[in-house]
Amino acid sequence: MMSTEHAHWLERGDIYALGALDGVELKDFQAHLATECSICKAYIQETRETLNLLHRSLRPTTPSPEVKERVLEHIDGENGVSLTVAQPKKSRRWQRITGTIAAGIVGVMLAGAYYHFRYEPRHTVYSAVVNLLRDPSTRDLQLYGAGPTPAAKGRFLWNDSGEGHVFVTNLPPPPEGKMYAVWTIAQSSAPRYVGTIKPDVKGQGGLHINSTRSVLPMDTFAVTLENEDTTAAPAGPMVLVSKQS
Amino acid sequence: MPVEPLVDPVTLIQRIAAQNRDAFSQFYDRYSPIVYSLALRMLRAQSDAEDLLQEIFLQVWRQATVYSAERGSPEAWLINIARSRAIDKLRSIRRRERSFVLTDDPAAAESPDNVETSAGESESKLVMNSALANLPEAQRRVLELAYFDGLSQSEIAARLAEPLGTVKTRMRAGIQRLRGMLGTQAA
Repeated sequence: MMSTEHAHWLERGDIYALGALDGVELKDFQAHLATECSICKAYIQETRETLNLLHRSLRPTTPSPEVKERVLEHIDGENGVSLTVAQPKKSRRWQRITGTIAAGIVGVMLAGAYYHFRYEPRHTVYSAVVNLLRDPSTRDLQLYGAGPTPAAKGRFLWNDSGEGHVFVTNLPPPPEGKMYAVWTIAQSSAPRYVGTIKPDVKGQGGLHINSTRSVLPMDTFAVTLENEDTTAAPAGPMVLVSKQS
Repeated sequence: MPVEPLVDPVTLIQRIAAQNRDAFSQFYDRYSPIVYSLALRMLRAQSDAEDLLQEIFLQVWRQATVYSAERGSPEAWLINIARSRAIDKLRSIRRRERSFVLTDDPAAAESPDNVETSAGESESKLVMNSALANLPEAQRRVLELAYFDGLSQSEIAARLAEPLGTVKTRMRAGIQRLRGMLGTQAA
């Protein structure tokens, strides 16, 4: 609980963290911070982490490869020597995905099913996947790599009976203490947690959803990289995201 | 074929601090799209955004040693650098513009549509936009003017012709609401 006498500083801390404090208030607050106030410093850091998410309202845009080349040239120039050979240019994410997603779909599904065979009763997962594939009402949503995992891909299948299954591939195992959380997002409500995907060392994994009713309808399907046990709301970067075709 | 495990960004920065070029390259690949989209949104011109992106990542290379995980995530650190530099540029541009001629209301050019292609626009309205969409318009407006346009509380009050106290109240209410939505309640 914050101390009452500190409340007025924290009120300024919000606006300071946003970068909008100015005038006398800014000078006063900077003077206060100079006293090494640990409460305000922690509060500003936490607020910045929250505000930090505002930029995620923007669609990540891949810059021209020339920018990276220029940056690396500068670095090599500063070091006086080229440390490694130039990185091969990467093709644009969408071109790469368009070219490979069709060929990868069957493999992704089988790989995802195989993954689940290892962790869930075989007949249950197998039957569920087969039922989904057979069901004419089954809908199919492509998932595209984003943020730190542009090469990842996946699919989300669900039917009118309320069953669903997520398949992913090329999704690297998460760092220690992190997990991949699955969400459905609708403009009219807060993001809804669906479950967790644990890819294997080959980057393949899946998640079976016994009832999609509590997480649908949706506008967007997303997988984010989160601290372990984060299920209240997404806060980490998106690693897979849907784009309605 | 096994895929490369995702390296923790803190580890990447530590390697960058040791002048590891491959780690820097990975860090750039991972974060340049979000930094570039922010730079584009704030500066609106592709050439300015590319210049800024270059400056930011050079700063990362040179100052990775000063990063401390205790002071926030690498992403927060990077975005903080990006916003600070972008705001400096914006203020410099505004000073230059004021010295020549008064421009049209910049609010008219503030839509992200100016820098985002329409294709995949729905894709851009993701996690945070769900939160933003749930903010009252007045709160969302002041947060966007401060965060993306680098305006101070007084400048926003002047822009919106609202009392300064009202702007501050909306900012705080908006931040508190975001904090609540994201499950990061204040201590």
